[in-house]
Amino acid sequence: MYRLRFHGRGGQGARVASKVLGTAAFLDGYYAQDFPLYGAERRGAPVAASTRIAEEPIMERGVIPEPDIEIVMDETLLQDPLTMPLSGLKPGGIAIINTTHSPAEAKAEYKINANVLTLDITKIGLDMLGMPILSTLAGGVAARIVGLSEDSLTEAVEKVLSEIITDRNLLDKNVAAALYCFNAITPAETETETKIEIELKTSDTSKKKSSKVISLPFEPAEVSSPAINATGNTPLRMTGNWRVFRPVWNYEACTRCMICVARCPDGCILVNEDGYPYPNYDNCKGCLICVEECPTSTLGKVMEVHAKNEIE
Amino acid sequence: MLTGNAAAAWGVRLAEVDYIPVYPITPQTEIIETLAGWIANGVIDSKYVTMDSEHSMLTAAGSASATGARAFTATSSQGLLYGFEMLYAVAGWRVPLVIVNVSRGLSSPITLEPDHNDVLAARDTGFLQIHCETCQEVLDSILMAYRLAEDERVLLPIIVNLDGFYLSFTREPVEVPDVEQVRNFLPLYQPKHAYFRARQPMAQSAAVLGGLGYSYFKYQMHMASQNALAVYKEVCDEFETGFGRNYDTMEGYMLDDADYVLVMTNSFSTLGKAAVNAARERGLKVGLLRLRLLRPFPVADLKAAIGGKKAVAVIDQNISIGKGGILHSEIASCLYNDKQRPLLLSFIAGLGGKNISPDEFEFIINKMIEGEDTEDAGTAQLLYTDKEWQEMVRLKGMAGKE
Repeated sequence: MYRLRFHGRGGQGARVASKVLGTAAFLDGYYAQDFPLYGAERRGAPVAASTRIAEEPIMERGVIPEPDIEIVMDETLLQDPLTMPLSGLKPGGIAIINTTHSPAEAKAEYKINANVLTLDITKIGLDMLGMPILSTLAGGVAARIVGLSEDSLTEAVEKVLSEIITDRNLLDKNVAAALYCFNAITPAETETETKIEIELKTSDTSKKKSSKVISLPFEPAEVSSPAINATGNTPLRMTGNWRVFRPVWNYEACTRCMICVARCPDGCILVNEDGYPYPNYDNCKGCLICVEECPTSTLGKVMEVHAKNEIE
Repeated sequence: MLTGNAAAAWGVRLAEVDYIPVYPITPQTEIIETLAGWIANGVIDSKYVTMDSEHSMLTAAGSASATGARAFTATSSQGLLYGFEMLYAVAGWRVPLVIVNVSRGLSSPITLEPDHNDVLAARDTGFLQIHCETCQEVLDSILMAYRLAEDERVLLPIIVNLDGFYLSFTREPVEVPDVEQVRNFLPLYQPKHAYFRARQPMAQSAAVLGGLGYSYFKYQMHMASQNALAVYKEVCDEFETGFGRNYDTMEGYMLDDADYVLVMTNSFSTLGKAAVNAARERGLKVGLLRLRLLRPFPVADLKAAIGGKKAVAVIDQNISIGKGGILHSEIASCLYNDKQRPLLLSFIAGLGGKNISPDEFEFIINKMIEGEDTEDAGTAQLLYTDKEWQEMVRLKGMAGKE
C-alpha cells in the first residue's frame, strides 16, 4: 500500500490534490481512499489531506501517521512548529517539496533525512493557471511518483474539477498543468528513483516497534479541566506564516495618504515617526488589500519564498 | 469515489425525497450542500428550505412527514442536541422521517472529530438507529431506512449514523444503484395514519393527561420498535436480492470459529478488522462483531453471535460519565440470564476521534486471553499509548498546567 500525505494551506488545494490522486488510482484499477484533516475552515491555515492506494481492500481509516510519500505544497509549513509536515515520514520515504531549491539545497536547508524531490509548482501554477492554486499540479506530481497513468490522471482532473468549477477553459488549463507536473517531476538523480521503488515496496508498518499502552491516571481539575493557564501566548502565534505573497513598499512613490493603514483588516500596517507606513510581517496574512487599495505605485507584492531568500 | 456525505446525499436523491429542511454544521454540511446543488441544477425536485436552527429543522421535517411527504434532514453533534426535544416529539407522532447524524464529539471541550455520545443520546427517543462502517453502507442504509420506517408494522423515524471525517469526508469507491431498481425496492409512501387531506381533517399529536393514554402510546412505540426486528430481516433480504449487498442487524468478521471477540460500531470497525487479521497471523482465534442496528437492539442476534465465546471485549466509542461504555452496559444486560455467557470486558476508545492503534488492539486482545484464565474482566479502561501520553503532557505544559 502507498500512503501519501499532502500538506498545504486552506485555499491551496491539498484536499482536491488528494482527490485527484485517489480518483486516478481508482481509474487505474486500484483500491483508493482519500481524506482531509483540518480544524475550523480558514483560508491560509494548515491543511493535511491523505490518499491511500492499494491492490487489496484498504483496512485503514483516518490519519496516516507514517506516510511513504509527503507532498509539501507550501514550503513555509516546513518551519511551522505546529504543523511539522514531515513528521512520521518513513525512513526511505519521499518528500516532494514545492520550492525553488534543488533537492540537495532543500535537504540541507530543512535538515530532511529522506529522499527529497523538488519542483516549483507555485511558478507552474502562476504561469499556467494564472493563480497559486496547486491542487491538480500536486495531484499530477503524486500520480507520477506512485506510477499511475497519464490517461487516468487526465480523467481524474476532469472528474474532480467538474464537481467544483464550471469554467471549461480553466479546467483545460488544469489538465495541462497537471500533465506538465506529471512529466516535470522525473527526478534528475535517477539513483533516487530506483531507491524509491525498492524502499517503498519493502515498507511495512506492521513491523514497526510497538509502543507501551497505559491507562489514564486521574489528575485534579486544576490540571484536567480544559482551561489554559498560560497567559499572553497569543502574540507568540505568528499568524503571518500563512502568507503566499507579501506586500512591499516602494517609498519613493508614497504620499503618506494612510489608505493602506486604514484598509488593513488586521491592523498590521504601522506608521513610523516620519509618517510612513510599514508592515508587521509577523502577523500580516498577505491578503494584499493594501496593494489593491494603494492609489500610487508604492505597494507591490513579492512571493513569500522569494522575499525570504532575498532577506537572507 | 464518494465521501460518506456524498453517499448520504445520493441515498436521499435515489429515495426521491419530497421535503428537505436544513441547517448547516460541520461535518455534515456537505450533505445538504450536495442536495442544494442538485436542486439548483434541476437534477432533483425536492422542496428545500433553510431553517433558523436544528430545533426548527427537525420540527419542519417531522411535520412534513406527518403530512404524508417523504422527508429528510441531516445534522451532527451539537445540532442534534439543539433539536433534541423534537426527536422525542417526532417519534411520538409515529412518522417515518429519516435523518442522518454525522457523529462528532460533544462539547466541552469542543471538537470536530467523531465519537458516538451524540447519536447514543438519542437511543431512548423512539428513533431507530442504523450505524455505518463504509460509504457504500451509508447510501444503502438510507434506502433501507425509508423502507423500514414506512412499513405499517413500524412507522417510527430512523437515524442513519456515520462518523464525521473518517467517513463523512473520506472518499472510497461506492456503487450507486439504478433509480428504477430503487423504485422497485422502495415504493411511494402511502400513509394511512398521518397525512394532510383537506376533505379529511385530523388533529395529530393529541395531548394526554393522567398516564392512561400516555402509557398506551409510549408502549405502542416500544412494540412497534420491537416489530422492526423482524421487518428489518425482510428488508435486508429484499435489499440483498435487489442489490446484492447483505446488511444484517450486525456483521460478524472471522466470528464463527473465534474464541475472543471484539465488539465495535461504525467506521473504526475497519481498524478492528485489521487487528483481527493481525491476531490471526499470530495464531489467535480472534473475531469481530460489528453492531449495525442499535435500535431496536437485536438481543437474539447478539446472543447467537457471542454466546459460548471465551471472552468478549466491547470497545465503546462513547462514554456515559459515571458508568462507562454504553454498549457494554447494553450487551451485559442481554447476557445476564444466560448460563453460556462469555467474560465481558469493557474498553473506551476513539473518543473525539482518537486513533485506536494496533498496540491498543493487541493490549485489548491480550486482556481477553488473560481474563479467561483469571475470570476477571477488570474495570472499564481508556487506553493511551505512551507516545500519545507524552504528547498530552507536552500540551498540558503549553497550557501552563504543570
